[in-house]
Amino acid sequence: MLSRVADSLYWMSRYIERTDGILRMLKINYASSQDDLQDFSWKPVLRIFTYLKEGNVDKVANRSRAVLQYMVTDKENSNSVVNIVTHARENARSVQDHITKELWQCLNDYYHTVRDEQLVRLLHREDPVTILDVLIKQGLLYYGTTEITMARGEGYAFLNIGKFLERAVQSADILDVKFSDKNYDFDESNPTYWKYLLLSISGYELYLKTYRSGFDPKNVVEQIVLNEDFPRSILYSINQLHRYFQRLKSEKNIEAYHKVDFMIGKINSKVKYSTVETIMRQGLHRYLQTIKEDLYEVGTALNQHYFAYV
Amino acid sequence: MQANELLNMYHVDANTWDEMYKDAFVREQYRGVVEFMQELSVDELNKKEELARKLFMSQGITFTVYSSGEGIEKIFPFDIIPRIITSSEWNYIEKGIKQRLKALNLFLKDVYSDQFILKDEIVPIEMIYSCPHYLREMHGFPVPYDIYVHIAGIDLIRNSDGEFYILEDNLRTPSGVSYMLENREITKRLFPDLLPKNNVRTVTEYPNILHKNLVSLSPRNISNPTIIVLTPGIYNSAYFEHTTLARLMGVELVEGRDLVVDNHRVFMKTTAGLQQVDVIYRRVDDEFLDPLVFNPSSLLGVSGIMSAYRKGNVAIVNAIGNGVADDKAIYSYVPAMIKYYLNEEPILKNVPTYQLNNLEEREYVFANMNRMVIKKTNESGGYGMLMGHSASDEEIDRYKIEIVKDPRQYIAQPIISLSSSPCYMNGKLQPRRIDLRPYALCGPGGIEIVPGGLTRVALREGSLVVNSSQGGGSKDTWVLAGSQ
Repeated sequence: MLSRVADSLYWMSRYIERTDGILRMLKINYASSQDDLQDFSWKPVLRIFTYLKEGNVDKVANRSRAVLQYMVTDKENSNSVVNIVTHARENARSVQDHITKELWQCLNDYYHTVRDEQLVRLLHREDPVTILDVLIKQGLLYYGTTEITMARGEGYAFLNIGKFLERAVQSADILDVKFSDKNYDFDESNPTYWKYLLLSISGYELYLKTYRSGFDPKNVVEQIVLNEDFPRSILYSINQLHRYFQRLKSEKNIEAYHKVDFMIGKINSKVKYSTVETIMRQGLHRYLQTIKEDLYEVGTALNQHYFAYV
Repeated sequence: MQANELLNMYHVDANTWDEMYKDAFVREQYRGVVEFMQELSVDELNKKEELARKLFMSQGITFTVYSSGEGIEKIFPFDIIPRIITSSEWNYIEKGIKQRLKALNLFLKDVYSDQFILKDEIVPIEMIYSCPHYLREMHGFPVPYDIYVHIAGIDLIRNSDGEFYILEDNLRTPSGVSYMLENREITKRLFPDLLPKNNVRTVTEYPNILHKNLVSLSPRNISNPTIIVLTPGIYNSAYFEHTTLARLMGVELVEGRDLVVDNHRVFMKTTAGLQQVDVIYRRVDDEFLDPLVFNPSSLLGVSGIMSAYRKGNVAIVNAIGNGVADDKAIYSYVPAMIKYYLNEEPILKNVPTYQLNNLEEREYVFANMNRMVIKKTNESGGYGMLMGHSASDEEIDRYKIEIVKDPRQYIAQPIISLSSSPCYMNGKLQPRRIDLRPYALCGPGGIEIVPGGLTRVALREGSLVVNSSQGGGSKDTWVLAGSQ
């Protein structure tokens, strides 16, 4: 496979994963903003997903509609849904002969949906959840179409590598920011706060089934970092990242393969052999920070050994 | 309102061959379509038009216009009413194009080797040496199987007497074939069952034939040679076509930056290291192909590709330097080429063409400017054209001055009244002028033309210019099977 194509597939997949994360986050936080007696703050969301300066964050942090517009339809925001989907689609456009026609059409439709002029108006006036649901569904179509139509070759491996790398970083980010907002206070026991955090990454039901004793921040950390069955957990994502990377093994590029395999394997073990206690001992923030740095290094190594074509 | 009334209200321009109507009667080959349409209401026609637009949009069959830093997706306008060619018309066109292409290939071989045709003074030598597309780099280099033109898109028009004429030969990187394929797919959705009922021949073989030909050109004698389509990239207006062809042939779509030349061999950079490339179907113009040989500032090409080509380590399709054969000034010599090389009478006629460096012809043209179209010999896409009947006096004067300065740059042709075909526009059936571009594929086994082509439509009322860059659209083109 052409290096450029691998690169584009990888980024296309990362962008869609990011879009999905943002949209779910927005949907649940919006619901939460309607359910909060005190002034609901969008600060954590803005800190995870935008590059806004602290002062600007404060300006909009309490205005749901403004935040939604900024995060979904604002073309000035480089991380807005409309921009990321456009990037994903541009990447797809340049590798149309490597994705199925169905997948291309699905992404192309997604692109036309987010660029619809109506969207801005609807987001301003109508029920935002309806709009967010429409967009989330487009993303689900993408995942389904990929699953059903894409050949299980190298391209599919790169799609999944991008997806799970992005997801692992995102889950680490979400957890970190949400805890930093509570000053890493493990006695914080406001159940609504944790409930919405879990809801936003589709982990609420699993939490209820796993832990019977109400909300304990330690359990939240355990689920989001260490639960191997939770598809948004860091460990699950890294397991998958490793699994799909190993499919790239071939005699032709064996040296590079071993290098990157070693890096991913090391992070995998690091997370796998952690417990909530060891994480707490290190400090949650520092722990998540190292994992993110390690993941970024994997990204750089992929770039160097698999995507370099310039 | 019923479509029936629309049909009744349709009026053909005077002195024009209409493809659907002969006087007040529907031509035999269009009966099936007209009967189908008579059953429809205007509402249903509108819905079909809307469906066509949506299908193009959602499949990304678009080109992007960049303005104020933002890309706007446009679709190439499509008219829902098909253009129909009978089997006897097609047989004639097919024979004529094959003959012409055969002669043009021989001409290219000759002009880049022995130059008999110049020595025999059939084509004046100064015509060749003044052509910017005549490339010295190609001289004396035998291309595989002596085939220069692997893919040709020869444009035909129909005069008011119903006769087909060759308008121009596109022998470099003719585009539009993806629209031939996609327009047909759209018609299948718009008019269920209508294609089989009318005995319309299929066009789907095109990518298979092309692929077969490309494989046969591989310099390495291996069972699975690496074939690629070389594109200038996503900003090219024909990018959709490049991806479609790569997808339909199942080959890699590659940009110049994906390739590297090492030891006179071309490689592509893959995740598993370098992989040798055998055949390149390039959609990059000669000028940009190799910065070491041609335009040194080109980022679209590959340094050293020309040397690999000349060593015979890679096949390039179409061959480099074909522009000398589809130059608009050379065009008028093609009938003479057919006689010279094949000893045959040309089947398809040329439009009469005046050489403006011939004083007598130039004076005649200048005296009759309002009946002439002036074309720049080395422009395409409808650029650099002057339609005498609609141009202002100042424009005409400006052209005259330019022509006198450098007459080789221009040719003149009498304005031909292109045939018209009904188009469904703004809720009405209106006559619009059309041409026809069939796609001929030339391989070691001979010349094959899939029965069909691209019918381009001049969408503006009264306009005779069908180029997409000048506001043209297209129609699905049906070729009917025998016994018509």
